[in-house]
Amino acid sequence: MRPAEKFWNPYVAGVALGLVLLSSFLVMGRGLGASGASFRLGVAALSVVAPSHVHDAPALAAVGADRNPLDDWLVFEVLGVALGGLVSAFAAGRLKSELIRGPRISTGWRVALALGGGALMGMAARLARGCTSGQALSGGALLSVGAWVFMFSVFAGGYAMAWFVRREWR
Amino acid sequence: MMFPFEVLSAAGREVGLVVGVLIGFAFGFVLERAGFGRADKLVGQFYGNDMTVLKVMFTGIVTAMLGIVILDGVGIVDLRAVSDHAASITYLWPMLVGGLLLGVGFVVSGYCPGTSIVAMASGKIDGLFTVVGVIVGSVAMGELQPALGGWFTSGDLGNLYLYDLVGVPPMIVALAVTAMALAMFAGGERIERWLRGARAPAAERRPRLAAWGGLATAAVLGLATLLVPARGATTVRRTVAIDAVDLARRVVSRPWSVRVLDLREKRKCVEARVPGAECTPAKELGRLELGQSGSTRDLVLVGDGDVRTIPAPVVGYPGRVHALRGGFSSWRKFALTAPAPPGPRATAAEREVFRLRSGLHAAFTGVRAPPPPPPSSSGAPRRRGGGQGGCS
Repeated sequence: MRPAEKFWNPYVAGVALGLVLLSSFLVMGRGLGASGASFRLGVAALSVVAPSHVHDAPALAAVGADRNPLDDWLVFEVLGVALGGLVSAFAAGRLKSELIRGPRISTGWRVALALGGGALMGMAARLARGCTSGQALSGGALLSVGAWVFMFSVFAGGYAMAWFVRREWR
Repeated sequence: MMFPFEVLSAAGREVGLVVGVLIGFAFGFVLERAGFGRADKLVGQFYGNDMTVLKVMFTGIVTAMLGIVILDGVGIVDLRAVSDHAASITYLWPMLVGGLLLGVGFVVSGYCPGTSIVAMASGKIDGLFTVVGVIVGSVAMGELQPALGGWFTSGDLGNLYLYDLVGVPPMIVALAVTAMALAMFAGGERIERWLRGARAPAAERRPRLAAWGGLATAAVLGLATLLVPARGATTVRRTVAIDAVDLARRVVSRPWSVRVLDLREKRKCVEARVPGAECTPAKELGRLELGQSGSTRDLVLVGDGDVRTIPAPVVGYPGRVHALRGGFSSWRKFALTAPAPPGPRATAAEREVFRLRSGLHAAFTGVRAPPPPPPSSSGAPRRRGGGQGGCS
């Protein structure tokens, strides 16, 4: 198997990212995103097992009551994100099943923290009306005040927590 | 050529969804190429040894920002129209707290929601579990939302942008943001060099300088767009309609965010007008010098009927220009006519509108309306529109 390719120069990757975002603004009149699709996936799954509950909870009903929550531009965009990641990883020789963790943490703990951290982010993204893709990147490029407040808060939160989870990574 | 193409209209909806997949593909591809499909690269940012997140994110933001602001400067795109549609309303407190929590979740899980998808797609099991966590967490918050009550929409500053806050043209803010980003990059390189103990190889430095140079050049050249005559000097601009009920809510709860200009005959305006409205018949608009004012307040034009196109003296106004749908007659029907009390099965929204209307009616005519009957059940909590954003 050939060795994995190097990553792109970060500034070049950034310019490419910015151009993708700009094209989204120009062609679709909207930005990129991720967490909104996750919410819709969750509501869709819940609709299968508890459809009446989805109708009763207002936030869930807003996307799932009388319509298919998956029938949304963001869900398709996220599908594209997954495909793009897959193809890029494959072409660069980075497509392999592995669990990334630091040397001092067990697999079980890493999985638990991935789940817990993910859940926290899912909740946070609902509060902020977006995540780093939708708010920080897209809202930030449009100079929205809320997006910039959000972006700086993300960095603050990450730096503040880093020391406490250092055993997970180092 | 019309930007944005708005391919999501009914006829082209399928095309829009396909375009969505393509744009997402490009997004995911670039993220993976940047190394963001791996937690070890991402969390390096928070331990100081790998500034890639900072570099990629801010280069991306600055690139897209310069692109859209410059296109707005030359008149191809309407920045505010795109932003109002693509960016969410600023809810200050949930966004601040949400940001902190997301940052915590980021360093705990090793990914952000978008990169976790890329990680999962490239086979990372920790990425997969993060994706599951994000799904569960967002639905959980959906369930909790009613319990948060008004806090979920607190700090509502509307569609507020940095250039509104400071009161300068967007291009100036874009220049400042570019300068800040370049300063951060230079600082980041210093930190990395200090931790690595050596300069980056030439193969890395050349593209970096090219990117920095390109962004700086674009920002400075973009200043030339300030010389382009303001949009509307040759084209006709349309007002954005606002309904009486929305105007009433704003006038009652956020009067500082609107400036109401009554364009009718002075006599009629003095007799009865929207609270806080200025009586400025159409021919007197020129002396307000609206082209020179700041953009933090939204203008609302009130005519006898609809005001569809922006009057010439108002065209240079840098903020949003609304017109009251139906003109003053609709306000008269809404605020100056006694509302019918809601029945026992009225929704919370109908109750709120009744309260608003009876309050306005009482203030104008001195007649107090009877209180609405008590609700027959606890009822669903009032759901304010959550605003559109890149993700919701």
